[in-house]
Amino acid sequence: MAEDFSRRSFIKGASLGVAAGYFAAAGLSSTALYKQVMPAEKLNQTDIGEIKALRMKVISETSWYDNNVLLNDLKGAGGLLVNQYTIPWTTNGVKAGYNGSNSGGFATYIEADLMDGSTKRILLDTGWNPAWMEKRFIEEGIAEKLAKKQIDYWIISHEHFDHYWGLEATLKYNPKQEVYVPKGFYTEGFDLLKGKAFPKAQVKNDYPHTGKVNVMDSSKVNPLFPGAALMTFDMPIICRVFGEQAFVFNVKDKGLVLVTGCCHMGIITYMETVRKKIKGGEKIYAVQGGLHISPFEDWDPQYDDLILALNKYGIQKIGANHCTGFIAVEKMIAAKLPVVTGTKRNMTKRDIYLGNGDTLAV
Amino acid sequence: MTTKTYDEPVATSSETEHHYEELDKIWLEERSLSNSFAQPLRGLLGFFLSFGFFMALWYVTMDPRGILQWYTPMYGYMYIRWLLIVAIWQAYIFNFWPFKQKWIEETHPLVKGPIMIGINWAITGAIIWIGFFWLIGKFSIPYFSWPELHKVGMTDFFAREYAGLAVLMVAAIASWLAPIWPMAFENYPWHNLTQPAKGITVLCITSLLTIFVYFVFMHPHYMVLFYPWQKFVAAMPWWYESAKTLSGNYNVGWIMCGTIAVWLIETIWERYPFRLIKSQPWRGLAGFVWVLFVALIMFNTFNLMQDLAWGPAYEGGKRLYAPDWRYLHSGELAVMMLLPALVLYFYFDNWPKKFSTEVNLAIRTIIVVVGTFVFNYIYYQISPPLLGTQPGYSHPQQFPMAPVILWIVIMLYHNWFMDGWPGKRIKKD
Repeated sequence: MAEDFSRRSFIKGASLGVAAGYFAAAGLSSTALYKQVMPAEKLNQTDIGEIKALRMKVISETSWYDNNVLLNDLKGAGGLLVNQYTIPWTTNGVKAGYNGSNSGGFATYIEADLMDGSTKRILLDTGWNPAWMEKRFIEEGIAEKLAKKQIDYWIISHEHFDHYWGLEATLKYNPKQEVYVPKGFYTEGFDLLKGKAFPKAQVKNDYPHTGKVNVMDSSKVNPLFPGAALMTFDMPIICRVFGEQAFVFNVKDKGLVLVTGCCHMGIITYMETVRKKIKGGEKIYAVQGGLHISPFEDWDPQYDDLILALNKYGIQKIGANHCTGFIAVEKMIAAKLPVVTGTKRNMTKRDIYLGNGDTLAV
Repeated sequence: MTTKTYDEPVATSSETEHHYEELDKIWLEERSLSNSFAQPLRGLLGFFLSFGFFMALWYVTMDPRGILQWYTPMYGYMYIRWLLIVAIWQAYIFNFWPFKQKWIEETHPLVKGPIMIGINWAITGAIIWIGFFWLIGKFSIPYFSWPELHKVGMTDFFAREYAGLAVLMVAAIASWLAPIWPMAFENYPWHNLTQPAKGITVLCITSLLTIFVYFVFMHPHYMVLFYPWQKFVAAMPWWYESAKTLSGNYNVGWIMCGTIAVWLIETIWERYPFRLIKSQPWRGLAGFVWVLFVALIMFNTFNLMQDLAWGPAYEGGKRLYAPDWRYLHSGELAVMMLLPALVLYFYFDNWPKKFSTEVNLAIRTIIVVVGTFVFNYIYYQISPPLLGTQPGYSHPQQFPMAPVILWIVIMLYHNWFMDGWPGKRIKKD
């Protein structure tokens, strides 16, 4: 009697569990039902207009010179979650560094020719080591353009040390330069802009900013001028940084060109977002800048997923550098992706990608 | 594991009276506890005590702003996973051997607790540093060893992280498979052996299964982790076509769900319904299949919930849109489900018990599901200031699994090694 009862109870319990579980979960995620449950994709495309041509010059993509030194700094401070303003970065005694400092920086100079014949000039980021960045700004004529108030837009892609802390190199020549930062900047970032120093991290600003500060919203496309827009992504990034913004340009007869600082959101995620939010987003002609794949020459199978998927987007030119990493670029080349090569000068270590002083024109 | 509070009626449904006698019981099942305080004071006291000790241990060992700063994150997470599996071995596989039952019953929790926790830490350290970093890493597979990976050219930081992931995954798989034997099979066919023979036998068989599962489901991850691909030492990740990722996180996700399924079944579901099967090994086999089935339901449900919340992931996407992160996050959500389950079980007497088994289990499940959502919300609101993490869901260097499992480990220390003292005490007959 007890045996019969238990068997019946077991079958009852198991059947209930199986049925409930199937219909609650496994069934819904099966191919047939999944499409009915998932809402249809909504495209909400903004027409950003067109430009005639675009030139992107790499001022500096060498953010640091010795990976081991940088990673030891991070490990010693407690890892990749530690607040960047509290890390004692190595700034001397580095053999491969610039005047012994491991810090370099990232910055790109962009010229966009508009349909009316005028040109807009943009400075993306301002590097890390002010001495190195000032040298590069002088060599590439950026310092002069800043002093003559010829830079129309100064865009900070994100708050990371190697993109933002060299702000003295910009402000020394024009402290009033209007700046655009992404939503997510921490208080320390704004304080640094105003002139505060962070001795432990060896970062300071002796040229307090007096111009307008624009914090770019992440909920919408932010048009800059006809043919150009900024898109901001909310996300936590290593060293306690939050949010990043990047450019979308629409070049007539070519298609969209995406220009990034580090692209922590991932280039595929960026392209998919552009496809949904920008008119013509189905056709990405070129990408330029850091693609944040293997910045420390580390690896993860997720990065292979990215490179394998990139081939499906039909990109014509990949002007990668900086945090893309050499391993990632070697794999891109092996996957026959259209990587634009460089000239290996101004402390860029290899010619397999766009280096310091190289230009990509569209 | 039924840590009964005998001052209150155990389940009164007719079905529980008819389930069959277990072949083998561990001490935790035979232990009688009496209550020192009434509810909800007893529950709240235990809850906040465990949370306080968790916070202290987190700050000392893991917090990026703390002392040892091991949460980088894999290095610290590795220790946490091994503390968990070693605690399971101590209580479930070895039944507290070499300590005599009389000593365990008569020794004050404040004495026996630190001794057992000390053993737990010592074994964890020995396994990691001698077993993996020295023995296996040096003489067999370098990726299991931080120092050996560094020696062959990996940067020190990533050598520690990569080795940490490999070592922790062994523990993660073991913490899924090891408790199934005493829980579902009741140590059959070795239930009549005495300790330590029984413990060693069950440890060997579950470790053998763990090694097999590791090499099938995780080792291929390491084929693509290093540059160039290590095609002569590991297979191409065979799950790529269906999972849309080469990452082993696909398997980490469902294996974590399996680990959690074991403990949901053991605690709030009281081994229902496979406990109703009369004989072994059928009861054990049904239990194993049940665990797997529940795990896959959880995994699919959490994957679907994420797709509904954020839209589908993209192949090659990063952060919220990375397929491998989504799978990993399903495992993280499963771990978040275990926390309210254990709080209910350990601190609030597995309430309710007065209805039929099905109703009791259904009410507990609803409580745990609601508790999971509440905990999930609170976690992402307060973890940055509390734990030193960063705001947001998809940071590649942080895993909610780590702090949540450390808190769970503290709960196990408190309830397994210290009888839930001071809220509960061993009942003296």
